[in-house]
Amino acid sequence: MTDSIMKMQDVWKIYKMGAVEVPALRGVTVEIKTGDFVAIIGASGSGKSTMMNLIGCLDIPSHGSIFLKSQDISKLSESDLSSLRGKTIGFIFQQYNLIQSMTAFENVMLPLEFLEYNDRKAAARAREILKLVGLEDKMHHRPTQLSGGQQQRVSIARSLVSDPEIILADEPTGALDSVTGKEVLNMLQKLWKEHGKTIILVTHDLNLAKLAQTTIELKDGEIMRISQNHEVN
Amino acid sequence: MKISKCFKHAFNMVLHSKLRSWLTITGIVIGVAAVIAIVSIGDGMQQSLNSQLNALGGDIVTISPGFERGGGGGFTRGAGGGGGGGSSGPQATTKEIVLARSDLQVLKGIPDIALIDTNIRGSVDIYYLGKKGKVSVTGVDQSIWSQITLSKIKTGRMLDPADQNVIVVGGRLAASYFAQPLGINKMVTINGSAFRVVGILDDQTNNVYMPIQMAFQVIPDKTNDIYDTFIVKIKDENQLDETIIKIDDRLMTARHVTTKNKDFSISSRKEMQQTRADTMNSMNTFLLAIAGVSLIVGSIGIANTMFTSVLEKTKEIGIMKAIGARNKDILQIFLFNAAFIGLVGGILGIILGTILSGFLPALMSGLPIARGGLAIVTFNSIAMALSVSVSVGILAGIIPAYQASKLRPVDALRFE
Repeated sequence: MTDSIMKMQDVWKIYKMGAVEVPALRGVTVEIKTGDFVAIIGASGSGKSTMMNLIGCLDIPSHGSIFLKSQDISKLSESDLSSLRGKTIGFIFQQYNLIQSMTAFENVMLPLEFLEYNDRKAAARAREILKLVGLEDKMHHRPTQLSGGQQQRVSIARSLVSDPEIILADEPTGALDSVTGKEVLNMLQKLWKEHGKTIILVTHDLNLAKLAQTTIELKDGEIMRISQNHEVN
Repeated sequence: MKISKCFKHAFNMVLHSKLRSWLTITGIVIGVAAVIAIVSIGDGMQQSLNSQLNALGGDIVTISPGFERGGGGGFTRGAGGGGGGGSSGPQATTKEIVLARSDLQVLKGIPDIALIDTNIRGSVDIYYLGKKGKVSVTGVDQSIWSQITLSKIKTGRMLDPADQNVIVVGGRLAASYFAQPLGINKMVTINGSAFRVVGILDDQTNNVYMPIQMAFQVIPDKTNDIYDTFIVKIKDENQLDETIIKIDDRLMTARHVTTKNKDFSISSRKEMQQTRADTMNSMNTFLLAIAGVSLIVGSIGIANTMFTSVLEKTKEIGIMKAIGARNKDILQIFLFNAAFIGLVGGILGIILGTILSGFLPALMSGLPIARGGLAIVTFNSIAMALSVSVSVGILAGIIPAYQASKLRPVDALRFE
């Protein structure tokens, strides 16, 4: 294994609900290596989503430190955090989270626009990625004109377009039928094996977790077990 | 994100909420149109006033016997009183209030005065080719009149110092008062004396101008060296107020009167026009305030639309932030959206305002203040309206845009 791309040290996330404090994560310490395929599993309320938000730099911890490529995200400004997120992490959401008023092509272009890519290069890159996910003929369709599987592929294309090191997938097959879900998982495996991406998969489905090399099991905001699956290589 | 991309996304936001955007734009259109129409009418009136001021001569002062701008009653004319010659006092007896040679001498002693035209006026019978008419005759100092009058000659010439039995007539009198046109060198009879027409004025009056010595003879009840008005041209227009004060002081001393029992008045056209301009400015300010209120209402509309838009797009803001949008990018997109609404409202408002300003002067022509005024849409008013509408858009959009930019991605993504 190589260096760590993400490290959490004694991370707490506490939500305040009026006078009551609800800890969603309790002193989580974990290290994710570059090029690993990690599945974060746990029952509902175990802290999976909170952990995904923190790994994805969408939120900052109440206590403790998170290092993304050796940078402590708690010490970054919101804008720096956004830029780091845009360059380093590609998100795949359960509900695709595409912008409905934009075409597939425009959705895929969007991360590159935030990174201020040259227009021509960005367009070429977006086309290339859409072709990779098999949607070259649906580029100018809006999300409402695409099936769930196609929308998720647009979402995958969007997550890949800026060539991030980490792909963070939150229940990526949750809204798909089993056949399309399998296609999406195959695509993730391909990205891991052939493109060397670090894949972090958040799921409650233990069968999906079997595809991962490392499994982090959460319960009540704490890591219960970290296991390695040497059979998936 | 590049500015051009922010603008593209802002434009798309407007396109994708057409009805709401257009309703908001309508509010701005009304406000800007009102401002444009009012400013253009104000500019038109101002220009009209300026040209009138120039035409009327800002350096001309009229001195009349009586009170307050020489208007109306309150004073009596001395029919034969006051006596002739330089010995006559201006108010030799109890009721005679006149301007006399002694007053003229006082004025001639004021170095700030360039020219003094002595006038008498009266109504006389005029005969031309056997037809009789009644016209107003003004006796003028013919050596001065041509230099001081604002009337222009259309045909012939002005009065000369050597003239005696000659007249200059108004345009309407010459053209259409009598059955036959009254042309140059035609002879008319006024109170038994024959006069030759030497000039026709470029105006639409029935006035007759003649040398003052002849006027003393033909206008009834006039006495030599007793004048109706002095028309004074001052040397320096910028010293108008000071010169008027000087004339006032000298004449009061000479006529043995104080401000309490002052028996003459001094007025300048400039002063009268200034009063009119002040009134017009007050009215413009009032109307602009009303237009300003409608702009404020329009801007509240923009703010409302923007807040709704931020709420509606919370999830999209979360998605954008997740994939790399910085606070600045979101702020710019929403600010551009608001500015775009303001800009479109401004452009349409200018078009509507320009159309309105074409009609309003006709509708307002009944008002004395608007008489002669034409609406003028200037580059300045267009630039002002555009900058105001865009600024109003941006100002109204600042808080919603800031709110959008500060949304935490984790909260925004959770929003349904």
